[in-house]
Amino acid sequence: MSLRSIDPAQPDAAVKIAVRGISHAYRLRKPREGKREFLALDSLNFEVGDGEFVAVVGPSGCGKSTLLDILSGLATPSRGEIHIDGHAVTGPTLDRGIVLQGYALFPWRTTRQNVEFGLEAKGVPRSERRAISDRFTRLVGLTGFEDRLPHELSGGMKQRVALARALAYDPGVLLMDEPFAAVDAQTREVLQDELLRIWSETRKTVILVTHSIEEAIYLADRVVVLSANPGRVRDIVAVDLPRPRTPALRTGDRFVRLRHRIWELLQNDDAAPPSLVTEDAVAAR
Amino acid sequence: MPTPSTATLLTRDAPRWPERAGRWLLAHASVFLFLAGWELLPRAGGLLRTFIAPPSVVARVLWDILRSGELAQHAGVSAFRALSGFGLAAVLALPLGFLLGGRFHAFERVVSPVLSFLGQVNPFSLFPLFMLLFGIGELSKSALVFWVCLWPLLFHTTTAVKQLDPLLVRAGRTLGCGPLRLFFRVIVPAASPGIFAGLRASASTAFFMLVAAEMIGATSGLGWLVWNSEINFQIARLFTATVVISVLGLGLNALLGVLERRLVGWKGAWSA
Repeated sequence: MSLRSIDPAQPDAAVKIAVRGISHAYRLRKPREGKREFLALDSLNFEVGDGEFVAVVGPSGCGKSTLLDILSGLATPSRGEIHIDGHAVTGPTLDRGIVLQGYALFPWRTTRQNVEFGLEAKGVPRSERRAISDRFTRLVGLTGFEDRLPHELSGGMKQRVALARALAYDPGVLLMDEPFAAVDAQTREVLQDELLRIWSETRKTVILVTHSIEEAIYLADRVVVLSANPGRVRDIVAVDLPRPRTPALRTGDRFVRLRHRIWELLQNDDAAPPSLVTEDAVAAR
Repeated sequence: MPTPSTATLLTRDAPRWPERAGRWLLAHASVFLFLAGWELLPRAGGLLRTFIAPPSVVARVLWDILRSGELAQHAGVSAFRALSGFGLAAVLALPLGFLLGGRFHAFERVVSPVLSFLGQVNPFSLFPLFMLLFGIGELSKSALVFWVCLWPLLFHTTTAVKQLDPLLVRAGRTLGCGPLRLFFRVIVPAASPGIFAGLRASASTAFFMLVAAEMIGATSGLGWLVWNSEINFQIARLFTATVVISVLGLGLNALLGVLERRLVGWKGAWSA
């Protein structure tokens, strides 16, 4: 594990995101058994440097999406804190751009209007909005599709719109939840290369949640491997592949070794039964 | 009438006008057959002659009541009743639907059986009550329209808000929406197709029910025109009023169709 030492009193300038002791429990209600809590995330600790690309992988049910909800501020963790630039996250704000699983485009808005949504909320005047949306529409390669409605776009194009929408209001951090899960394999690889290009142009700090080991290795500087039930940081694997990443890397020795290593980390994660603990075990809610 | 050459100039791929006219005639063949049959049937004589007024006669009567202002007066009265009842129902049902569908789920579950029951109560069984409460003037008719519109609007709005895609709300929140912006920029547009379906359903039944109510107890309105012609055995006027009501109903539906395409045409294939 390559965890840098944490001193809350002196936030490290290079640390963009600090995940500190995040635990999250869901309340379950089962007849006869009474109220139980399901521990989805258990004491997660890691940091993400400024401009770094970190992928989070784990088996289904390891709380990946819950982690992203907490990072985005949509959910409040049972315990622990997220710090971005030294400030604790208390809710969703425009310092983070979020690409949710399943596009989540507003179907009544055109490409341009979707991209401008966050700018409207931010109060950017119309003329500036237009210029910014043009720039980001071009960045994701959708020039010419500004006035299309989401139902007129393919899955890959919708994902590009979602990415442009998340980048348009210039957040320092980009959070992505299984962004390419809904597109076909070929489009997926194209979009991965596009994402790397956009990342290198915009220098955002990225956390990407995925269930694909290949995707995590191909894109990220480091891969956070989670175990399931409850979700814990199993290991953090540094990806020592050169940049810019090219498709040829996918079949190289180093890539295959990394894939095997992460695969093993995930395999050794004995499929424990869902850990049901009583309420007082996860106190301090 | 455009000559073939200008038609070619304007729209190169569209078929020329004789062809288009032919297609139009074919598509509306049933209408022409119907009108022809209607015109010819009474000429066969006998009872049919007494009870059916042919379109030529209807057209003449229509012209007469248009010129005398009789039609405008009755149509205006009906329109006022329909719009006031419909408007009041919308003002009440839309906010209530948003509250029931969005904020008070538990309450919605508790009251929904009663609401479903009230929605099934036939307005005509209540009409005597309305007349008792509001007299035979404008109010009882408006109240009936209000009743008829209220339930479909309420059900459609509640359902639309309940079935809102939570992903869109999440997206809105991550894009910097406060509660107000979230409501007006995400929740309202996302629920609008369902709400519009409610508006459409209630508008067409409202018109139908209003005419029927005017036949039962009124001193003016299109329904009254039908009823009054009936008891005075003015067959031509009866037919004319019936035709006017049907055409207005068609027009209302067409108008709502156009509005629906304009307002919620983005729906397309609902997979964003």
